[in-house]
Amino acid sequence: MNIELVKQLVEGYGPSGFEDHMRDIIRPFIEDYADEISVDTMGNLIARKEGDGSGLKVMVAAHMDEIGVMVTHITEKGFLRFTNIGGVFPVTLAGNRVQFADGTMGVVYSEKRESRTEVHGLDKHYIDVGATGRDDCPVSVGDAAGFYRSFRAQDDFLVAKSMDDRIGCVVAIEALQRLESTPHDVYFVFSVQEEVGTRGAEAAANGLEPDVGIAIDVTTTGDTPEAATMAVELRAGPAIKVRDAGMIAHTGLVRLMRRRAEEAGIPYQLEVLEGGSTDARSIQIAGPGAAAGVISIPTRYVHTVSETVDSGDVENSIKLLVEVLSKPIEL
Amino acid sequence: MDLFKLLQTLTETPGPSGLEDAIRETLREVWEPMADVVVVDNMGNLLAVKRANQQSRQPDDEEITGSDEKPPRLLLAAHMDEIALMVKAIAQYPDNGDVEAAGGFLRLTNVGGIDVRHLYGQPVVVHGRRDLPGIIGALPNYMLPDKSSSKAYGFDELVVDVGLAAKEVREIVSVGDFISFQQPLRKLLNDRASGKALDNRASVAAVTVALDYLQGRRHDWDVVAVATTQEETRLLGAFTSAFAQRPDVAVALDVSFAKGPGTKENHLFELDEGPIVGLGANVHPGVLQKLKDAAEALEMKVHVEPHSYHSGTDAYGLQIAREGIPTGLVSIPLRYMHTMVETVAIDDIERAGRLLGEFAARLDGSFLDEIAEEMMGD
Repeated sequence: MNIELVKQLVEGYGPSGFEDHMRDIIRPFIEDYADEISVDTMGNLIARKEGDGSGLKVMVAAHMDEIGVMVTHITEKGFLRFTNIGGVFPVTLAGNRVQFADGTMGVVYSEKRESRTEVHGLDKHYIDVGATGRDDCPVSVGDAAGFYRSFRAQDDFLVAKSMDDRIGCVVAIEALQRLESTPHDVYFVFSVQEEVGTRGAEAAANGLEPDVGIAIDVTTTGDTPEAATMAVELRAGPAIKVRDAGMIAHTGLVRLMRRRAEEAGIPYQLEVLEGGSTDARSIQIAGPGAAAGVISIPTRYVHTVSETVDSGDVENSIKLLVEVLSKPIEL
Repeated sequence: MDLFKLLQTLTETPGPSGLEDAIRETLREVWEPMADVVVVDNMGNLLAVKRANQQSRQPDDEEITGSDEKPPRLLLAAHMDEIALMVKAIAQYPDNGDVEAAGGFLRLTNVGGIDVRHLYGQPVVVHGRRDLPGIIGALPNYMLPDKSSSKAYGFDELVVDVGLAAKEVREIVSVGDFISFQQPLRKLLNDRASGKALDNRASVAAVTVALDYLQGRRHDWDVVAVATTQEETRLLGAFTSAFAQRPDVAVALDVSFAKGPGTKENHLFELDEGPIVGLGANVHPGVLQKLKDAAEALEMKVHVEPHSYHSGTDAYGLQIAREGIPTGLVSIPLRYMHTMVETVAIDDIERAGRLLGEFAARLDGSFLDEIAEEMMGD
């Protein structure tokens, strides 16, 4: 796994609806490996790898966008009120930092609290960019910011904002780079607007009408103190999704992924996720429907600035995706 | 047709949303003798095509439907999936590291709309590498920390016990395996049937009755019966089969709430008072009228159920496929929905099936023009 690629992607700016910068970051890493690269109306970046004609049409989706905030109002004193882009949890906000497209950094904090444990809703939070009034405020209403935090790799323990789903993009990019030949016409879709309702993938799937859809995304784990029951843990390999809150994966595709992992000696886990979903839910129901599944990267602390993955799990996710794509897919 | 026997076969065959293989194969055998061709599409929907047996359409009609020289097509959709459970994790007890001695227990999550209050004490089948009988257990009430609690058990308190040691369980069962309920269909007095999965096997049986009815009738339209998948989770089969089939008219069949103890007077329907036709957002008025016409021809009483937005049925998905499909909804009254003792009147199923058959037989070459003109107004 290319750790420099991980750093560039996770530190990149790209809240849902503002993915232009992410497209520019990803494109150089895929250009030499794809037979065709396009950007569709929604802004999805699509790399096509041509098959030998004997296989299926496969859509692989990893989303480029990240959760963030959008400015709704600027106070007379130059503080920014904001709303959420995607699933932003108030408990993660006070003292955190955000960054706008032009590089402006802001500190998030909340109004006075009655007790130290009280957590306000988003509407009682604000962003401080150091402005003294509206006139010297470098930010406008409607501007979007992503969270701001640098990437750390502590041996195999990788921590960053927006592992969701830049680490999925890394898996897709490296799988494309390593995929020497495939029977399938594979469309690697670096999708937009996943965090606001898996919308980019939906449009892409409507356009492509794939036979098979595979999302690469993060999933939560149950391996931390007093966590909710979930049989996914860090360092036990990629999680092959069976069910999440948005869909039930195609049982034939789940079987195939398991078989490919077993044949190649890749460790894997089976995932049953009770909250959240991925681009695969949109691909599954688009047009005449697609056999949909997900390779998930086990991730702790999802939707915080310290999303945490294990580099071995990432490497094995890449291997599994290559195994699936390079061989026939019998459903 | 022995409807109780058919319902017995259909409800007692497992078909959790996402794992419809067994019910699909059972149903295929039922539908094959009644259809010209029976196929399975890539979403697992089972489709039985009964071709028009009277070619009365004029060449001019082709442009209207865009369906070449083929007769127009009616899609009759009833979902074959049922609510179920899934293995969320495998726990062992005692959890002291001695894997050899520990018993294996399955932690649960829902597939579709499960009311967790009904789960404690239910017999189930775990669909692992092989099917295992199991029961849903929990600590007895008096051993709970809050002994006086009258609260129902939640998923966190419930386990499935298949009687095996943890080691053996792990060999047969994986996280993500489906669990279906095990409940024989009972015949109650007054020709009532009670069991699991009558939502929506009652409708599947009604579609079967319709196909049977059409054996003896001429019909100008191709009739495609579809048993859809994953309705209970997201209407997946309805959205996808309507897109793929591109029917000219579609009718969804589902169950609706019947009157019973505690229900209010308005909006609900008595058992054994005939099928219900849907009215409102998901329903095309021209299709509704045609259903009413068919009922009148049969001298059959129907009730009308208004839906202000989402009917909670496949009709919601069928209606907006492609450029939009004129859609109708026929429902069978049912008590105790989403429990293991769902209860229907068998005659309602027979009547719903006959209504659909008559409706299909009465579709002629001019129906699409008529409803299009009606929509244009003056």
